[in-house]
Amino acid sequence: MNNLIPSFDWHRVVVQPWVDDLPITLWIVLMGFFVTAACGLVGNFLLLRRMALVGDAISHSILPGLVVAFMIFKSTNTWVVFAGALAAGMLTVLIIEFIHRQSRVKPDAAICIAFTTLFALGVVLMSMLESAGSFHIDADCVLYGEIAFVPLEPPVVWDGRELGPPSALRMALVLTAVALAIALFYKELLVTSFDPGLAKSLGMRTGIWHYGLMGALALVIVSAFESVGAILAVAMLIVPPMFAAQLSERLSFRLAWTVFHAALSALIGLHLSVWLNCSAAGAMVVAAAALFLAVWAASQARRWMRFRSKIFQSAGAQIVGDPA
Amino acid sequence: MKLPGLALSLAVVGFVVLIPEAAEAARINELSDSTLIDRAARFFTFRDPSLRNALAGSMLLGVCCGLMGAFLVVRKLSLLGDALSHAVLPGVALGFLWNMSKDPLAIFVGATLAGLLGAGTVQLLRATTRHKEDAALGFVLASFFGVGICLFTMIQNLPGGNKSGLDKFMFGQAAALGSSDVILLGVVTALALGAVVVFYKEYAITSFDAGFARSLGMPVQLFHYSLMLLLAFAIVSSLQAVGVVLVSAMLVIPAATAFLLTDRLPRMLVLSAIFGMVSGGAGSFFSFVGRNLPTGPFMVLAAGTVFAAALFFGPRHGIFSRWWRQRSRSARISRENTLKAIYHVLEDQEFAIEQVSARELAERRRETIEEAQHQLGTLRRHQYVTMSNDGDSASLTPEGWRRACEIVRNHRLWELYLTNAAHLAPDHVHEDAEKIEHVLGEETVRMLEKRLNYANRDPHGRLIPGLEDMRFAGARHLGQSRATGFGNAAAH
Amino acid sequence: MNLAAKPHGENGWRDRIRGNSMNEGTHSSPPPLEVHDLTVAYHKKPVLYGIDLAVPMGSLVGIIGPNGAGKSTLIKAVMGLLPLSGGRVKVFGKSFGESCHRVGYVPQRESVDWDFPVSVMDVVLMGRYGRLRLAQRPGRQDREIARECLEKVKMLPFANRQIGNLSGGQQQRVFLARALAQESDLYLMDEPFVGVDAATEAAIITLLRELKSRGKTLLVVHHDLASAREYFDMLILLNMRLVAFGPTSEVFTPELLQTTYGGRLTILSDVAQTLGSQS
Repeated sequence: MNNLIPSFDWHRVVVQPWVDDLPITLWIVLMGFFVTAACGLVGNFLLLRRMALVGDAISHSILPGLVVAFMIFKSTNTWVVFAGALAAGMLTVLIIEFIHRQSRVKPDAAICIAFTTLFALGVVLMSMLESAGSFHIDADCVLYGEIAFVPLEPPVVWDGRELGPPSALRMALVLTAVALAIALFYKELLVTSFDPGLAKSLGMRTGIWHYGLMGALALVIVSAFESVGAILAVAMLIVPPMFAAQLSERLSFRLAWTVFHAALSALIGLHLSVWLNCSAAGAMVVAAAALFLAVWAASQARRWMRFRSKIFQSAGAQIVGDPA
Repeated sequence: MKLPGLALSLAVVGFVVLIPEAAEAARINELSDSTLIDRAARFFTFRDPSLRNALAGSMLLGVCCGLMGAFLVVRKLSLLGDALSHAVLPGVALGFLWNMSKDPLAIFVGATLAGLLGAGTVQLLRATTRHKEDAALGFVLASFFGVGICLFTMIQNLPGGNKSGLDKFMFGQAAALGSSDVILLGVVTALALGAVVVFYKEYAITSFDAGFARSLGMPVQLFHYSLMLLLAFAIVSSLQAVGVVLVSAMLVIPAATAFLLTDRLPRMLVLSAIFGMVSGGAGSFFSFVGRNLPTGPFMVLAAGTVFAAALFFGPRHGIFSRWWRQRSRSARISRENTLKAIYHVLEDQEFAIEQVSARELAERRRETIEEAQHQLGTLRRHQYVTMSNDGDSASLTPEGWRRACEIVRNHRLWELYLTNAAHLAPDHVHEDAEKIEHVLGEETVRMLEKRLNYANRDPHGRLIPGLEDMRFAGARHLGQSRATGFGNAAAH
Repeated sequence: MNLAAKPHGENGWRDRIRGNSMNEGTHSSPPPLEVHDLTVAYHKKPVLYGIDLAVPMGSLVGIIGPNGAGKSTLIKAVMGLLPLSGGRVKVFGKSFGESCHRVGYVPQRESVDWDFPVSVMDVVLMGRYGRLRLAQRPGRQDREIARECLEKVKMLPFANRQIGNLSGGQQQRVFLARALAQESDLYLMDEPFVGVDAATEAAIITLLRELKSRGKTLLVVHHDLASAREYFDMLILLNMRLVAFGPTSEVFTPELLQTTYGGRLTILSDVAQTLGSQS
């Protein structure tokens, strides 16, 4: 057991990564931040619509999309893979709705059926390709990705200067796009998420916003897929908005807290993974969850303190007063 | 009906486990170069002990997950199954760390504890925050899995220990099932089966109406938590064969399939167990034939295929079956409308003629002659009419005459009922009667006749055909005796 | 305003079968339901406070009040489905747990999933479960009783239907049959008239009166002021606090209704009008 948790060496864990391995550390933290922030921003709206687990479903089911796109076009070109994954993500949403509408299977079961079957299809196709020797991807990577490989990619060179690893740049682009879209359509997204009935009566086309959100969801998950994998992407979608919701009642503040949480958990996660010598993406999720738990514990403690002081104040008096 | 079904499924599993050892067991690596068909044939000889373990284990896990999953699905807790199955991952890692080996018992205990901790966390978050169910489930699913991934990667970086096979917990490897794994699965399945059979009544009522069950003084929470515990057992013992990621599918898909096919909980439990068993068996078969590809995905694909079949072709609720019923109903309605039109044509001629030409019919229904001919053709196929030699005009057969009378009677009775009993204006009742006439049963008709005092004219003053009229062998007798209305029949 | 337990002519037939016939007319037999200073809170926000009630044997009591007045909460709290923040509940002089077998319950129709794979018969049999030991299956006698109860609500022809294939009124009748199968002395019914057709409503109220005439006690949450006066012989007017409890003729007054329904005059003015025209 002692081997499992190395002693906490300040220099090795906190200083060294930034001094000796600056580019690697920087790109991992940045990538972690981009992924968590982009997922978290979209996740806020999922949470409002009580669709957090649709994110889970999409993140699993883009796998067959990736594999099928590769099989058809025989290329790992980013755009091909991307289109395939996006199509699979949308297909999942459609399948879930189809099962739910056409049978009496409840939506929760429909979600579970749709994504597990598609994911299984993806794994089977992938293993077949692998045993045929034409495709190589570690099956486990599909689940939790490998963010540590990001800095090792051949950097994008533009105008003679190295800009950085392509996947990190792509993720930055996605984050910018998501942030811009939210800034532009904040009002519409808010209304359609909060009260679709009102939105309809205002003449908004709720269907468009619904599918737009699903599209954005598929977009962030697909771009996050290779660095954090199918399941950890779900954490990035759900945990930051939950953290933010503990801290603020207002959506705009929540969005800001989400970004803050993303930065903090990427940073803490990196150091955690250096310390414990474990998967960086996993450690970022652990850090994100721990941050949420800390805020949650604090709010519980505060509630408890208030409750106690109230009891002391009203000792002897009736706790529930006469309402008249 | 319930016990024989379960007994059958257990007998199948028992048969696989107890295949006589007389046949010499072949070694699995001797097979490395054989073809797919050879491997499939080899599978069905059940000679390999490891293959037998794999198959028996997969089928047992199907039964066990199917039973537990049925309760998950009817309680609308499918996603809890998903969350719990991911949440056990850190427990698996800790169980491994217990003595640095894949000791099934240590892993079982660790994973069960992690699963229960996950379930507890969901409850706690629901109780103390404003987060909705989906967020709480998602949080547990993803953050527990994250912890698990950290532990797993830490273990991979550790020196020493028998780490091989640990990665199989992700997607499952039935071939890696040892006999102790199968025994564990057997015990858990027996436990689940025993609990469901003994406490069927309690589990059913607490799932259906927990408030009512509590008003009866039942310990609802106790049954809920015992079900969660059994669920955790089912998930954990199935991990080795189906993998962390896809256990939830084996819980939900067979149960949802069964839910599509039956309206009774006992039948649903049996069907779910059987579908689970079949999918489990199919999964281990394909995994074996495909040279030890991961088992879990194949099981899930098999289960998904069965689900899709039930979704489309299920006899009662299937999409295709419903579409077919819908189609045959609208075909019947269209036939009945044609018969009615024929009756109207005959009635306009005061039943002086027997034959109706396609042109008359087309004029009556404001359609083209081709359409009318087509409709008459349909009626002829159903032997409601016979066609004249030139194929242009039709006369009703006795059966056709009877049906036409029935429809017209239904229509007019209903119009009369609406005007007399519901006090609608006579010009407001036609639309409604157009729909009702096709669905009125004989019993309702008797009731209507009685309520209307056997009146024989509809609100528009036309005669309502009665039983007496239908007894005529067809329109050809009508030259002498016109539709009399059942009031007349009573007056004779 | 509370009435002391009034003498009543007839005991429930179950009491006679059991042989523990209660001393008719004496005040010593504990009332079917006694609530003392009951307070219930959701998330620390009180929804009911300081409720005091003693429901006499053999009465048909309506619980009325505006939305969110805590009508259903009262019934649920009596049965311990919700935690009490204060006060106590006595059912036939004992705690609810001790006399739960003497209480029948009709929950709101929306409280269950009607796609659940059970038949009408299965649901009615659930009424018998309170009398069965752990793991004991309902026997032939239970089935016989369930069948009789279905007959009483005229649902016997539907016994083998899946419950989702019924109309709203039929579903409510099934719930009623299930409560009948409990053969209780006290019935608690949560909105049994919601979403049912007029015929069913009439049938239900006839049934309730028949139960009452056999000495059963019934508490019925009701939402329709207009019919409340006609249906019930006692009323509980509730709006977070107990506004009034007593015979309908005494408590169904414009003043008390005004207190119960606060500013919601739309419904009230209608009722006041009918009251005015009738008196």
